[in-house]
Amino acid sequence: MDKFKDLDPLLHSQLRLAVVSLLLSVESAEFVFIKEKTGATAGNLSVQLDKLNTAGYIIIEKSFKGKKPLTTCKITKKGIDAFEQYVINLKQYINK
Amino acid sequence: MDIDKEQLTNEKSLEIITNMIAAAKGKVDKNSFYFLLWGWVCVLANIGHYYILKFTDYPEPQIVWVITIPAAIVSAIYGYFQRKRASVKTHLGTIAFWIWMAFLISLVLILIFAHRINYQINPMIMILTASATFISGIILRFKPLIIGGILFWVFAVLALLSSLEYQYLIGAIALITGYLIPGYMLKKRANNG
Repeated sequence: MDKFKDLDPLLHSQLRLAVVSLLLSVESAEFVFIKEKTGATAGNLSVQLDKLNTAGYIIIEKSFKGKKPLTTCKITKKGIDAFEQYVINLKQYINK
Repeated sequence: MDIDKEQLTNEKSLEIITNMIAAAKGKVDKNSFYFLLWGWVCVLANIGHYYILKFTDYPEPQIVWVITIPAAIVSAIYGYFQRKRASVKTHLGTIAFWIWMAFLISLVLILIFAHRINYQINPMIMILTASATFISGIILRFKPLIIGGILFWVFAVLALLSSLEYQYLIGAIALITGYLIPGYMLKKRANNG
């Protein structure tokens, strides 16, 4: 995978890329919405969301909806910048 | 979606991005509830006001507008639960909400100072409604609502040129073309989609 060395490894993963693309288009989204749209399993999604959160690409807010715990995700400025850079790099490969 | 096990090609990356943006795109709340509720309430109030003014001696025809009070309460309660239930918040959805909140503020100002504008309330409200409906149509990408908004402007001009009593009839027609027809079309589209 040498030719992909410039692509942000954090975004160059199917599910994480899907999550960031999805969050880019909305103000905020709940865990269930992301799960439904990406078709991921809850466990896998949690792990990937944590990675994006640790990198500062997204913010995860935990609250309650009635008695049910509620996880809401939001993309950060850093996440938007990283995504833009990822798309720019991707374009270079495609135009080659 | 099984991550990291499948090799991610450039094309696959683009496909994921495109698919996810498309999945989020249609998420503006295509809700016909408010258009139908307020359409019916205000059509009835306009016709009632016209009827009392024209065919009775009752001195306070504006009394019919009290039916907007329960409608406002129903709207607020409905809106509260709707927002609580939504699993995603979109930028456009937030903008749509604030357009109608701004409309509400302008509306209250017009009602408070009705005596200062010679009680030309109906045309003024129609002009305001035209803006909010037109922009809502653009946000929802729904042509009937855009046309309905434009028709509010047309009917507002007609109302400005008419006597006070006919303004209520014109108001009722504008609400049918601007709220009710697009509202029912939106409802039909939401049910089909």
